[in-house]
Amino acid sequence: MNLGTLFSGPDMATILMPEWILLLGIVAMILVPNLGNATFRLPIPGTSIRIPYLIGGKRFSVTGDPRVPAAIAAFTLFASFITALLSQILDSGVGMAEACVTMNGLVQDCTSDGTHILRVDAFSRLMEMIFTGALLLALIANWDRLPATPHHRIPLKPEEDEIKETRRLFRLLNNRRQVDFALLVLMVALGMCTVALSTNLFILFVGLELASMASYVLIAFNKETQAGPEAGVKYFIVGSVASAIGLYGISMLYIWNGDLAIYGSGGLAAKWAAEGPNGLATIGLGMMLVAFGFKVSAVPFHFAAPDAYSGASGPVAGVLATASKAMGFVALMRVLIGITLADDGSDWTILIGAIAAITMTWGNIAALGSRNPKRMLAYSSVAHAGYILAGIAAIGALGPGDGSQLIATAIMFHLAVLVTFKLGAFLVIALLECEGRGYELEHYHGLARRDPLIAISMLIFMLALAGVPPLAGFLSKLMMVSGIISSTVGDVSGSSLSEAMGSLSWVFWLAILIFINSAISLFYYLRICVVMFYDEPDRNLRLSRAPMLRIAIMLCTMGAVVFGFGVLADVLASAAADAATALFS
Amino acid sequence: MITFLGNPLTVLTLLPITGALLLMLVHWMADDEKREMLANPIRYVNLGIALLMLLMATLIGLEETFGLAWGEYLYQNCEVGAVSTGSCTLISSIGVSWHVGIDALSFPMVWLTTLLIPITMVVEWEAKKDGPDRAYFHSLILMMEGALIGVFVSLDLFVFYVFWELTLIPMFFLILLWGGSDRRYAAQKFFIYTFTASVFMLAGILVMYFNNDASWVGNITGKSFDFILMETSTNFIASEGLRSVVFLLMLIGFATKMPSVPVHTWLPDAHVEAPTAGSMLLAGVMLKMGAYGFLRLGVTLFPDQVIQFQTLLLVLGMVSLVYGAVVCLGQINLKRMVAYSSVSHMGLIFLGVATLQPLGIAGAIFMMFAHGIISPLLFAVCGSFKHHYHTLEIDSMRGLAHSSPWMSAHMMVGWMGSLGLPLMAGFVAEVAILIAFYMTFGWWVVLPALTLIITAAYYLWSMQRTIFEGGGDVQLPPTMRDEEPRDITWHENTGMLILGALAVIYGIYPDFFGMFEMMSNWASLLVENVIYPPEVNP
Repeated sequence: MNLGTLFSGPDMATILMPEWILLLGIVAMILVPNLGNATFRLPIPGTSIRIPYLIGGKRFSVTGDPRVPAAIAAFTLFASFITALLSQILDSGVGMAEACVTMNGLVQDCTSDGTHILRVDAFSRLMEMIFTGALLLALIANWDRLPATPHHRIPLKPEEDEIKETRRLFRLLNNRRQVDFALLVLMVALGMCTVALSTNLFILFVGLELASMASYVLIAFNKETQAGPEAGVKYFIVGSVASAIGLYGISMLYIWNGDLAIYGSGGLAAKWAAEGPNGLATIGLGMMLVAFGFKVSAVPFHFAAPDAYSGASGPVAGVLATASKAMGFVALMRVLIGITLADDGSDWTILIGAIAAITMTWGNIAALGSRNPKRMLAYSSVAHAGYILAGIAAIGALGPGDGSQLIATAIMFHLAVLVTFKLGAFLVIALLECEGRGYELEHYHGLARRDPLIAISMLIFMLALAGVPPLAGFLSKLMMVSGIISSTVGDVSGSSLSEAMGSLSWVFWLAILIFINSAISLFYYLRICVVMFYDEPDRNLRLSRAPMLRIAIMLCTMGAVVFGFGVLADVLASAAADAATALFS
Repeated sequence: MITFLGNPLTVLTLLPITGALLLMLVHWMADDEKREMLANPIRYVNLGIALLMLLMATLIGLEETFGLAWGEYLYQNCEVGAVSTGSCTLISSIGVSWHVGIDALSFPMVWLTTLLIPITMVVEWEAKKDGPDRAYFHSLILMMEGALIGVFVSLDLFVFYVFWELTLIPMFFLILLWGGSDRRYAAQKFFIYTFTASVFMLAGILVMYFNNDASWVGNITGKSFDFILMETSTNFIASEGLRSVVFLLMLIGFATKMPSVPVHTWLPDAHVEAPTAGSMLLAGVMLKMGAYGFLRLGVTLFPDQVIQFQTLLLVLGMVSLVYGAVVCLGQINLKRMVAYSSVSHMGLIFLGVATLQPLGIAGAIFMMFAHGIISPLLFAVCGSFKHHYHTLEIDSMRGLAHSSPWMSAHMMVGWMGSLGLPLMAGFVAEVAILIAFYMTFGWWVVLPALTLIITAAYYLWSMQRTIFEGGGDVQLPPTMRDEEPRDITWHENTGMLILGALAVIYGIYPDFFGMFEMMSNWASLLVENVIYPPEVNP
C-alpha cells in the first residue's frame, strides 16, 4: 500500500487532515483545561451517589497545569504541519493529487464539473505549511513568556531555591489567559488554512474573517498595557471597514455572476473569460482589493499596521507580518490570478503596479524615520508587500505562461522564507520584551556584548531582510526580480541603446525600483546591526533565559541560512514551483 | 599533487571561510578564562591556514602554464557537459551550479590574494582592541580571503555575485570594530554604497541569465547562470541594444568597485577609517574585483560594447586619473592621499582596456597586479605611521628619517613604486599602457603622461616634507605628547619588506613567476578571439 494514499485518499477525512487536526485541537483546547473532578449528586434521597461529569470542579494536576494549553496547541499545529508536509512528500511519487470538495461535501476530481468550494493541491498544502509553521514558531516563542500582568516577568536569573523558583514561575503562568491565547492561535490557523483551500469567494471570506477576528484579539492581548488595546481596536476598526468593503465587492460579483465559485463552468473565471471585464465586476474586484490590500498592508491601507505591530507582543506582530500577510496574498492571487488571468489583458495591472511602486517606496522611506524597531519592521513589511505586489503586477502584464509561473514561484518562496527572517526578527524583539524593553533603538545598543548569539541571529535576519547574499532573503528577492526581468527582456529589440531602453516594458523599471528600494532599506537594517555591534550597552545583564523563545529564534536563523544557498533552498524552490503550477492550472 | 584535497580551487575558496567560522565559534564557545588563553593560538591557526593557502596557490602556479588557449579554464570541477546534465548543481531549480575554474586572468589575482592575506595578518599582528572581540580580527581577514578567491574563481554568475557581496560582510565588521574615529559612518557608507552599485550589476546578470538558454537541463526557468555557457554560446543576447543596456548596468557595478570617478566617494572614507589590514586588503584586492569583473564579464562577453563605449571608458579613465591626482595634491591626510592615488591609478586600467591593444590590456592587468603589491605597502606605511605617531597629518611631522629610519625607507620604496619609478612594478604597467595608448590614439598620450607628473609631484612633495625636511631635527607631531618616537615593529617590517622586495622584483623582471607572460598571452588571446574575432579582422 502506498503511504501517500493515506493523506490524499478520496474522502474528506483524509484530504482535509490538517484542518481536522486543527479543529480537533480547538475542541481539545476548550475541553481539556476544564477537566476536573466535578461530580453530580444523584437527587435520590438517602443516597450519596455522585456521578463525575468532569467538566469543572477542582482541576486535576495534569489538566490544571498552566502549560497544557500551549502544549496542546503546539502539538496540534505541529501535527497539522507534518500532515501537510507528509501529504506533499509522499504524494510526489504518485503524482500530485488534486482533490476538490463540492458544496455538498463530496470529494471530486477537480476537472469534473461541479461547484467546488475547497481545493487541495500543492498550492494550498504549501500555504498550510507556511501558516501552521509560522504560528507554531510564534506559539513556541510565547511558551514561557505570557505574563499575568506586565509587571510579572520571567525571572532574569535562576534563583537558588528551586521550589521557590518553580512556584514563582507557576504563579506567573497560572492564569486562564494561556487557554485564550492558544485557542486564538488555533483559530487563526484554521481560518488561514480555510483561505488557502477555498476556491469560493464566500468560503474565502469566512476563512479570512475567522483569522482576522482572532488576530484582532491577539493584537490587543496585552490588555494591561496602554498600547495593546489601542492597537487592537485601531486594527479592528480599520480591518472591519476594509472587510465590509470587500464583502460589498463580493456581493457585486455575486450579482454579476450568480455564483461565487472561482473555477468551473459557472465560475467567475469562466464568466470573466467569456464576457470580458464588466463595469460591475471591475468595481467589485476593486473593492475586494481594498480588503486584501489591508491584509497585506499595501499603501494606502497600511496606516493601522505600524500601530498594530508596535502594540502587539513580538510573536503576534511576527505572525501579522508573515502568516497574516501571506493569507492576504493568497486571497489576492486567488482572485486576481484565478479570476482575471483567463482574460489576458488584465485591467488591474497598471493599478497594481502603481500601488506596488508607491507601497515599496513609502514603506522604506517611512522606515528610515522610525526609531522604534517594531515600527521599523512594520514599515519594512509594508515595503516587502510592495515587492510582492510588483511581482503580481508583472504576472498581470505577462499573462499566463512560464514567466508568470516563475514569478508566482518567487512569491511563494518569498512568503515561505519570510517566516524565517521576519518572524525571527520579531522574536528577537520578543526576547527584549521579556525585560520590558525593545521598543527603542537604544535598547539594542551593545546587544553583541550582552548576547552574541542573539545579536548574530538578528544580524542574519536584518541582512536577509535587506537581501544580502547568501541568505534566504536574497534568493527570494532574486527570484522575484528575475521573474519580472524575464517578463520584459524577451521582447526587447532595437540595435541601439536608446531603442532598447524605449522598448523595455514598464515592468522592467519596477524591477529596477525594487533594487533601488533594497538599497534604501539597507540604511535602516544596517542601523540596527551597527548599534548592536558598535555602541556600548547601557546595562550589562544577560538577556532573559526564555529557552523556548531562544529555540524558536535559532530555528528561524537556521532557516534564513539554509534556505538561501544549497540543497534545502532547492527543495523549497521546487515545492514553490509545484505550488505555482497548481495555482495556474 | 595539489589535487589530493579535492579540487584545489574549491578548497581555496571554502577552507578559509569554514576555518574562520570554526575558529570564531571555538573562541565564542569557550568560557572567559579560556578565551584569553585561546586568543593567541587562534591567531596562529589563522595565519597557518593563510600560509597553507599561499602554498597551494603557488603550487598551482608552478604546476600549470596559463594563457595557452582561449577559453581554457584549469581545475574546473565540472565540464560544460556536466553543467548541462546537472551533476555539479547547487540550486538546481534555478540553474545555479558550483563551477570553479582558473585561467591567466584569475590566477594572478588569486595568487595576489593568498600572498596579501598572510602579510596583512602579520602587519597587524596586534589587533589594537581591548575586550573579547580581539580574537576575531584575523578570522575575519581569513573569511575575507575565501570570499575574494571565490569571486576570482567562480564561473557561475550566481555564485560570483554571492561571493562578491560576501566580501562586504567581513570588511564591514573590520571597519566598524577596528577602524578609526569616524568608523561608524565609514562602515555604513562603504556597505550601502557598494551594495547599491552591485545590485545594478545583479540586474545585468539577471538579463544575461535569461538569455543563457539551458532548457535541456530541465529546471524551472530553463536557464543557467553558467559563465562558460554564456561565453561559448553563439547567440548570447541577440539584440545589440539590450547588450548595451546590460553592459552599462554591469559597468555601474564595476566602476563603483574599482572605483572610477563619479562613483568613487565611498573609497576615501572607507580607506581612511579602516584598520591597516583592512585598507591594505581594500586597496590591494577589493578594488581589483571591479577591474577583474570588468575584464571577465564586461570585455569578454560584450566586446562590441567595449568598442562602442570606448569613448566613455576613455573619459572615465582619464577623469579618474586626472581628478585623483589633482585631489591628492591638496590632501593633508596621508592615508587620504594614498586613497585618492588609488583612484588615479585605477583610471589607468580603464585607459589600458580602452586602447583595445594586447599590450594595453596586458598593461592594465599588470597594473592590477602591481597596484595590488604597492598600495598595500603604502597603506602599511600609513598604518604604522598612525600607530606610532598617532596622526596622519602630513604637515605635523618633519624629519621622519631620524626617528624611524625603517619606516622612512619603506615609505620611500612605496612612494617611488607608486609614482612609477623605472625598475619598479608600477613603471612596467604604466609604460605598457602608455605605449598602447600611443599606438591607438597617437599623441593624445601626452595627457595621461602629463598626469603622471602630477603623481610624481604629490608623492615627492609629501615625502620630502615628512621624511627629510626639518633641518636635521626631528619635529614630532603634537599627538605624540612626550612619547619617544619608535621605529616600526618587526611584524610590520617583515610584511613591508616582502612587499617592497616584490615591487622591485616585478619592476626588474616582470615575468617573475610567469606573471607578465600569462597576462600578455591572455590579452592577446582576448584581442584575437573576442574583440577582433578572425572573421572580422583576418
